[in-house]
Parts: sequence; structure tokens; C-alpha cells
Amino acid sequence: MIRERKDFAGELTDKIRLAKEELRLKSEDWEGLSRKVEESRTSWLVAGISSPPASASPLPERPRSYTAVSSDGSQIFPDRHEALPCYLINISSITLTYGDEARAELSSGPSLFYRDEDRFTTWGGKKVPADSDVISLKRTLMEFERILQLVKSNEADGNTIALSDGTLILWRLEASPPDFRDGIMVPFLRILEEFRALRIPVAGYISYPGSTDVINALRVGLCPEKVSFCNQCPYTELPELPCSPIEGLTDRFLFSTVLDTGEASAVFKSSSKILEMYGEHHIYFFYINIGEEIARVEVPKWVAEDGRLLALVHTLIFDQAKKGKGYPVSIAEAHEQAVVKAKDRDFFFSLIREAMVKSDFAVTVSRKGLSKRIPGV
Amino acid sequence: MSDYIGEVVESGTKGFVARSPRVGEAPSFGSFVRTDAGSPIYGLVYEIITGSREPGRKPDAYDMSMEELRREQPQIFELLKTEFHVLTLGYLDRGKIRFALSPLPPPIHSFVLECTDEEKEALSSEDFFLRAIITSPNVPADDLIISSLLGAQRARKNDKDFMVRMGKSLSRYLKDDYERLASILRRLL
Repeated sequence: MIRERKDFAGELTDKIRLAKEELRLKSEDWEGLSRKVEESRTSWLVAGISSPPASASPLPERPRSYTAVSSDGSQIFPDRHEALPCYLINISSITLTYGDEARAELSSGPSLFYRDEDRFTTWGGKKVPADSDVISLKRTLMEFERILQLVKSNEADGNTIALSDGTLILWRLEASPPDFRDGIMVPFLRILEEFRALRIPVAGYISYPGSTDVINALRVGLCPEKVSFCNQCPYTELPELPCSPIEGLTDRFLFSTVLDTGEASAVFKSSSKILEMYGEHHIYFFYINIGEEIARVEVPKWVAEDGRLLALVHTLIFDQAKKGKGYPVSIAEAHEQAVVKAKDRDFFFSLIREAMVKSDFAVTVSRKGLSKRIPGV
Repeated sequence: MSDYIGEVVESGTKGFVARSPRVGEAPSFGSFVRTDAGSPIYGLVYEIITGSREPGRKPDAYDMSMEELRREQPQIFELLKTEFHVLTLGYLDRGKIRFALSPLPPPIHSFVLECTDEEKEALSSEDFFLRAIITSPNVPADDLIISSLLGAQRARKNDKDFMVRMGKSLSRYLKDDYERLASILRRLL
């Protein structure tokens, strides 16, 4: 196993060398690659290119004072073995202000959902029980609503960043029917619009990203065809496809050889299908070397196109990650405040049972639920 | 209640634990305090601890001055807590301080106040507090005796007779342990 792993590591080094060379070469004619990427049809997510892809921006100077705002959520999913069908979403609020007026506000607040309109969702014209995917999306929306509230209640001084853990691309909605999708997407885009009006950059931070968008763009570049149409690939008879020498690499590997600590990569355009709905808020991304790792940062179009906001996101994310010893401190604290542990979950359901008993309600739990609580020998 | 110095978060007959409203601030070791809810309970601060609010998280080293920490890592002060432990000396019984454990411990969440000079004087009017310290198993007794005696003497405007009286009491309580008595007395000078 170790030998195989070693061989793989050796292979990886060759691939990274090749990808880096390709990135450098393509930077000389990036317009050509950009056009080819746009015209090609592949089955992968391919990064849109609008500047030399090998370029690296140095770390801009950090403003002396700034505010980082973040929120995260955690939930107790409904359990059909429990006494009542309900669920809980706990949303945290983090406002960290640095500099002369330094202060920290950390809190979280739970919401209980038990009414029919919360427990059921409209899915393709049908009423279906809200499952973990639906609740998770609802939670994501609540997190962004909270971040917006925090930004509004904070007397912003122009150096504020709104940070979210994970992607800003709600790709899970791609497979949802329009009625459900719109229920999430419309308010989500409205929130992004408010951020835009306030000129407060919002960014999604992805630690240890597994994305391959830029590698895929380079693979399009490696394709000998003028324009690549993967489903009409003429090279399938060859022992190896022309685009496969760098297959299997992630962008993270590539940029770890390109970016020095503090540097950010060029900004790329994501080609996720769901982004067709985003309009002015189309998601762009860049990679940043925060020292401990390469992270992916996603921002809406209006941030990507505004040099000042982009530089602010670059420097503040780096500072946040430094403060958090490799992971943005505001996002880490948002998680810590929001997290609902197994113990809390048990306590939650026992509170409900207790409240029912106090009100003379018959408490019926499934035999399975009961057997879990009182395991016999 | 603006001038309280703590809030009871653990309550027991022999003593209680109070949380300071601000991290790093607490009544000094050996100071006389009282609770404010119901019938006041009097005691002595014998331990002050600052640490993480959450059991799973430990403070880390940041290599920054206190000023830098406040500017650049303000959240850590929200994640820390300062608590102080109090040894019960007595309680107010029908307007009079009784040097005995209260029939009931202080209600949880009652506020804790620093004793006034008059209260300190009353609490140290007899040597019962010295006996309470010496007979408590889990307090740093000798240092607590020294600090509480110095505090009481300050409240009594450096009354020399008071010190002599208490010294005599101590020599009686510690008659079997000359070395210990000598160490306390030397440190009181």
C-alpha cells in the first residue's frame, strides 16, 4: 500500500510539473484559451478565464480597522421515532471588529419548526415532508439572512467583510423542481443584491478545496481540437487521451506551486449550471495561499469586478485565516457558536417529551426509539 | 445592580463560586464579600480562576501583548471567564451576623458584593473567621489568614490592638505547630 502510494506521489509530482508548465504557457495566450474554453462543450466544470491564469497578486495592505461578520448553522433533524415531528435550526451571529474600536459579539439563537408549513415543502407541485436536504438549504438561507442583518446593524466603516463557510454556489438546487428552487433562490439573490447595494463584499471560503475548474480549463487547452466537444472526442481510440496527463489533479495542488504565502491567484469564472440564475451575482473565485494551505474564495461578480472590494476580500481573508491559525477566525467561531451536539439533541427531545407530559399529552415514541434509549442486555 | 463583583454560578453550604462580570477582574484573594439576595451570606475569596468558558477549548499562546490581543483577537475575551471561590464565614440572622453556616446556601444567580468597611469590621470583630479558615480542608489556609487579616486591619484603620488580639488567637489555634505559626506571624509583619 505504501509503495503504491509512493508511486502515486511520484506520478502526482510529474502531473503538477506538467500542469504548472501548461499554466505558464497558456498565460502567454490566455485570450486564446479563454475563447476556446467558452466555445467548448465538456462534461466538466471549466473555469472561465479573463486574465493570465498564472498571475499572482501580492497581499494588499490590511486596513488598520475592519469588521468581519459571519454566521453558521446547525440543526436537529426531525426524527420520526420521536414524540413530535419537529426540527430545530440554530444560527450563530459573529461580529468581530478590529483596531481602535475592537470588540467581539458572539451569540447564537435557535428556531423551532413544527407547523405544517415548516414541516412540509412544495416539491414539483406536491407537498412532501421537509427532509435533510430541504432543511439544510433552509438553514443556508437563514445563515445569509443573519449575516445581512449583522452587517446592517453594524455601523459599517467601509472595511467590512461578510464571510460564509463553504460555497456560494447553491448547486444542490440544480436538481430541484422550479417551485422549490425559487423558494430558496429568489430570497438568496435578494440578499446578495442588498450586499451589493451596501457595497459590502460577501465571500464564501472553502478550506482544502477539491475543485478542478482551472485544471479542467488547462485540459481544454491540451486538447488538439480547435474547439473541444467531449461527446464527439476523436481521440478515444488512443491509449491515452491528449487531455488526460493532468487529469486527477486538483486546482489546490497546482496553485500550491504557483502562489507564495499571502498571494492570490487570478480570478476565474465558475461555470456551474445553477449560476445561470445568478445574473449580476454570478460567482467568481480565486485561490489564496494562506500559509497553512491553499483555500478557494468565492465572490459575486460585482466583487470580482471591483478592484477595491477584491483587494479588501484578499487581505481580510488572509488576516482572518492568520488570526485563526490557518482558518478564518470569524467562520471558526460561527461554527463553534452554532454547533448542536448529540447531547443537545437528546436534551431537546427530552424537553419536548417533558413539556408534553406536563400538559397531560400522551407521549408515544416508536419501539425503536424506546429501545435506543433503554438498551437491555 | 451596577456595583456587583460577581454572580453566583455554583452554590453550596460551605461555599460558593461566582462569575466576574469582566474577564480578569475579581475581588482580591482574601477579601470579604457577601451575597445580596435574601439573607446575605458572608465569606472570603480563596481562589480566583480565569480559563475557557467551554470545556473542550483551551486558551492558546498568541505571542502578543495584552494591548495587541485586545485590538487583533477581541473574541478571546468573550470566550474566557473569571470565577472566584468563596468560603462561607457566616450569614445575617435577624440583623446580626452569625458566625455559622447559613441554613440555606445563596440562591444561584444572586449577585456578590464587596463588603463595606463596617461589615469587614463586624466580620473580624471575633476570631471565628480564623478558625473557619484553619478548619477548612480545601483552602490555602495560611495565605488566606494573612490576606484576610491584612484586609481587616486596613478596614479598621490599622488598629494595632486588633492584630495583637488576632495574633494571640492564632497562637492558640496553632499551638501544636510552632513552625506554621511563626511563618504566618513573620509574614504578617
